[in-house]
Amino acid sequence: MKNMVFGKYIPVDSFMHRLDPRAKLIGVFLLMIALFVPDNWWVFLGLGILIFIGLLMAKIGVKMVLQSFKPMIMMMIFLLVINVLSVRTGDPLFVIGSFTIYSDAVFNTLFVVVRLMLMICITTLLTATTKPLDLTLGIEWILKPLNRFHFPSHEIAMMVSIALRFIPTIIEETMRIMNAQKSRGVDFENGKIGEKIKAILSLIVPLFSVAFERAYELADAMEARAYVPGAPRTRYHILKFKMSDFIFGLVCLIALGLSIASRFYL
Amino acid sequence: MPISFKSLSYIYSKGMPYEFRALDNIDLDIREGVITAIIGETGSGKSTLVEHLNALLIPSDGYLTVNEFNIVPSGKMPFLKLLRKDVGLVFQFSEYQLFEETVLKDVMFGPLNFGMNQEEALRRSVEALTLVGFPKEKFEASPLELSGGQKRRVAIAGIIACDPKIIVLDEPTAGLDPKGAKDMVSLFVQLNKKLNKTIIIVSHDNEMVYNYCDDTVLMSHGKLAYHGSTLDLFNDREKLEEFNLLEPDIVSFKNSLIEKGFRISAGARTIEMIAEEVGKQVKH
Amino acid sequence: MSMIEVRNLIYSYNNETNAVDDISFDIKEGTYTTIIGHNGSGKSTLAKLMAGLLEPKAGEIKIDGMVLNEENLPLIRNELGIVFQNPDNQFIGSTVKDDIAFGLENRQVPSEEMEKIIEEYIEKVNLTKFMNSEPQNLSGGQKQRVAIAGVMAMQPKIIIFDEATSMLDPKGKKEIKKLMYDLAESDQFTIISITHDIEEVMQSDDCIVMNKGRLFMHNTPLKVFEKAEQLKKIDLDVPFVFKVKEAFNKKHIRLKSDDLKGLVDELCQYRSNR
Repeated sequence: MKNMVFGKYIPVDSFMHRLDPRAKLIGVFLLMIALFVPDNWWVFLGLGILIFIGLLMAKIGVKMVLQSFKPMIMMMIFLLVINVLSVRTGDPLFVIGSFTIYSDAVFNTLFVVVRLMLMICITTLLTATTKPLDLTLGIEWILKPLNRFHFPSHEIAMMVSIALRFIPTIIEETMRIMNAQKSRGVDFENGKIGEKIKAILSLIVPLFSVAFERAYELADAMEARAYVPGAPRTRYHILKFKMSDFIFGLVCLIALGLSIASRFYL
Repeated sequence: MPISFKSLSYIYSKGMPYEFRALDNIDLDIREGVITAIIGETGSGKSTLVEHLNALLIPSDGYLTVNEFNIVPSGKMPFLKLLRKDVGLVFQFSEYQLFEETVLKDVMFGPLNFGMNQEEALRRSVEALTLVGFPKEKFEASPLELSGGQKRRVAIAGIIACDPKIIVLDEPTAGLDPKGAKDMVSLFVQLNKKLNKTIIIVSHDNEMVYNYCDDTVLMSHGKLAYHGSTLDLFNDREKLEEFNLLEPDIVSFKNSLIEKGFRISAGARTIEMIAEEVGKQVKH
Repeated sequence: MSMIEVRNLIYSYNNETNAVDDISFDIKEGTYTTIIGHNGSGKSTLAKLMAGLLEPKAGEIKIDGMVLNEENLPLIRNELGIVFQNPDNQFIGSTVKDDIAFGLENRQVPSEEMEKIIEEYIEKVNLTKFMNSEPQNLSGGQKQRVAIAGVMAMQPKIIIFDEATSMLDPKGKKEIKKLMYDLAESDQFTIISITHDIEEVMQSDDCIVMNKGRLFMHNTPLKVFEKAEQLKKIDLDVPFVFKVKEAFNKKHIRLKSDDLKGLVDELCQYRSNR
C-alpha cells in the first residue's frame, strides 16, 4: 500500500507545483475533453508531447509515470483479447492457425490504450503537484456557485480535508490492529470463507469503534477552538491567480480548440 | 535458551531510498522464567524487536530462535500458529482489538483460533478473566461498552487464555491511572511467579522496571546497549550516565543513606525494605 | 479575584449516577491548579463542563464573571482554551501552520494578519523547523506542542490541560511539562491541569482531589499529600518523599522534611540522638 504511486503528492518545487490549484483543475478538465475528441494519430502525438512537457516541468520522473501504468497492464491485455476476438473489420494483419487478426482490432485497442495512458499522465500531473488540501480548496471554489442552491460547499471541503488528514493515521491503526489479531491466531491470507469473514470482522469492528471515538474527540476539539458549522470564517490560504495560471489555462484551451478543429479539418 | 537473537538486523522499506535500519546486528539471549524489561527511547527499536518474537516481522539478516522454532529471513514457517500460541503478544493500547458480542466470546477467540475445543477454550477463558480480576457479572456484556481499564484487562485475558509460555507486553500501563497501573504490574508478577511464565515488558517507566524486572535490555538507535541484571544497571552511576538514564528515586535515596554511613543490603529495592534496615540502625 | 467560580455543579451521563456530584470551588486568576483522581472520578467531565462542551444538569459555572450559558458561550470560548489527551485527535489542519490557523479562521482573524501570528506562536513552542510538517511526521510531544500553540494563538485567559501528557513518552512528557510550567510562571494565564503525574502536582499552586464525582480535597499540594493515608484509600499515588515518610512512620520514626536530602539529614540526626 505504501508503494502506490498513483495519486500521490510529490513534495518538490516546480513550475507545475506553483500553479494555482484551480487553474490546474480547469486545465486538466480541458485536456481530458481534448483527449476524447480526436480520432487522428497526429493529434494524439501533439497532445502526448504537450503532456510530456508538462511532466518534465513538474519534475516527475519517467520511471514514476511508468510505475503508475503498472495496474493498467492487465486491463490493456484484456482489452486487446476482447477486441481481437470480436472486431472483424479492416485489413487482415496476421493469420494464426485458422484465426485471422484484423487491423481495426489492433488499432482500436491501441487507441483506447493510448488514451488511457495519457489520462493517467494528466491525473498524475494534477495529484503529484497539488497538495490534497489545495486540491480541496480548488474544488470548494469550483463548487461555490452551488451555494446559491444551499449546497454546503464549505462543509464538504472541510470534511474532505479532515478525511485526507486522517488517512495516514487510519492506515497505521489498521496495521496495528492486524498485528494484534494475528497474535491471537488470525490468518488474514488463508482460510475457509467462514474464517475469512471472521478475520475481516476482527479488523473492521475495532477500526470502526476507534473511528467513532476519534470523531467524538475531534468534534470536541473543533468546538473548543470555536468552530461553528456554517458560521462565517476567514481563510488562511487565499488562492490568487497569477499570470502563469492564465498562460497554463490558455495553453490547455488552445489544445482543446485544436483537438476539436482536427475533427473537422483533418 | 528459549529466546535467542543471532546477529539479527531488520531494515524497513529495504531497497527504497528511505530505507531504515531499525535493528542492527542484535545478539541477545533472553532467560526463561524471569521478567525481562526492554527499555530505550522512542524509535530505538524496542517494538521492532518484540514484533520478531512471534514472527510478525521476519529478520532481514541473521535469525532468531524461540523455543524449538527458527525464524530466518525468507524461510517458510509451517509452525507459525504454534509459535504464535507459544508467544502471546499484547500490544500497546490493546483495548482497541476487542470486537466480539460478549466479553467471554472475545476472550475465547484466540484459544479457538489456536485449535482448542469449545470446552477447553471456555474453561481457560473464565480462568484468565478471573485472574485479571474481571467481574463475573460482566462476562456477557459487550466489550465495547466497558471502561478503558476494563477493556485492557479483557484484551490481556484474551492472550492469557491461549496459554502462551512467553507473554510479551508493549507498554501495558500506558494511559492507566496509578491504581490501574499497580494492578497491571501485580498481574504480570503473578503470571511469572505462580504460573511460571516468561514475561517480557516494553516500558518507559524506570521505577517500575527497577522494582519488578529481573533483567533489563536497553536499546539505543537500533543497537543493544545493555543486557543484564536490572539491579546492576540502576545501581551503577557510570552506566546510568553513559546511557543517559535517570536514577530511580529509590536508588538515589539508598545511595545518599549509604554515603552517610548507613548499612543497606544490595537486595533492598523497596522503600519498606530500606525503612526496615535503617529503622534498626537509628533506634537502639 | 476569582477567574472560575463553580457552584453546586451536577452532571450525569444518561441518568446514571452523578459523574460530577454537587461540586463547588473557586480558582483565582493567574494560578496553576491541578486536578487529580482515579479514572472515572469525574475529572474529565469537570473539565468539559468548564469548557462548555457539556451542559450541567444543575448548578452554575462563572468564567471571568460571566455565567456559562448558551448566550455567553461564544464570549467564554474566546477566554478559554483546552488541550486534550490524544495528540492525534486534536490535530485538525494538514500541517503545523494550518492547524494553528484553524482556530484563527474560526475567530475570523483577517487573512493577512494570520501568517505573523502563526509564526510567532510556532516560535514560542520551538517548532519553527517543523512549521510545514504533516502530523504523521511529528512525535506525540511535538503534536501536543502544536496544540498548545494553537490554543495560545487564541490568546485565552484560561488554559485547561486534560491529561495532556498521559499518552506521551518520557521525553514528550518532559517537554510539555516544561512548557506548562513556563506558561504558569508567566502569570498571563490561569492554568488548570488534569493529571496523574504527581511530580506535576507538586509544581502547582493548588490541587483539587476528586473521588466518585465529589470534591475530596482542595488545598496546596503539600497539605494534600500530608494526608497520604486518605489518598491511598481512594487509590491515589503520593510523591516518593511522602511514601518514604509513611514507611518510616510505620516504624514509629516521624520525619518532617519535604525533600529527600532533608529526610536523610533527619535520619542522621535520629541516629546520633539514640
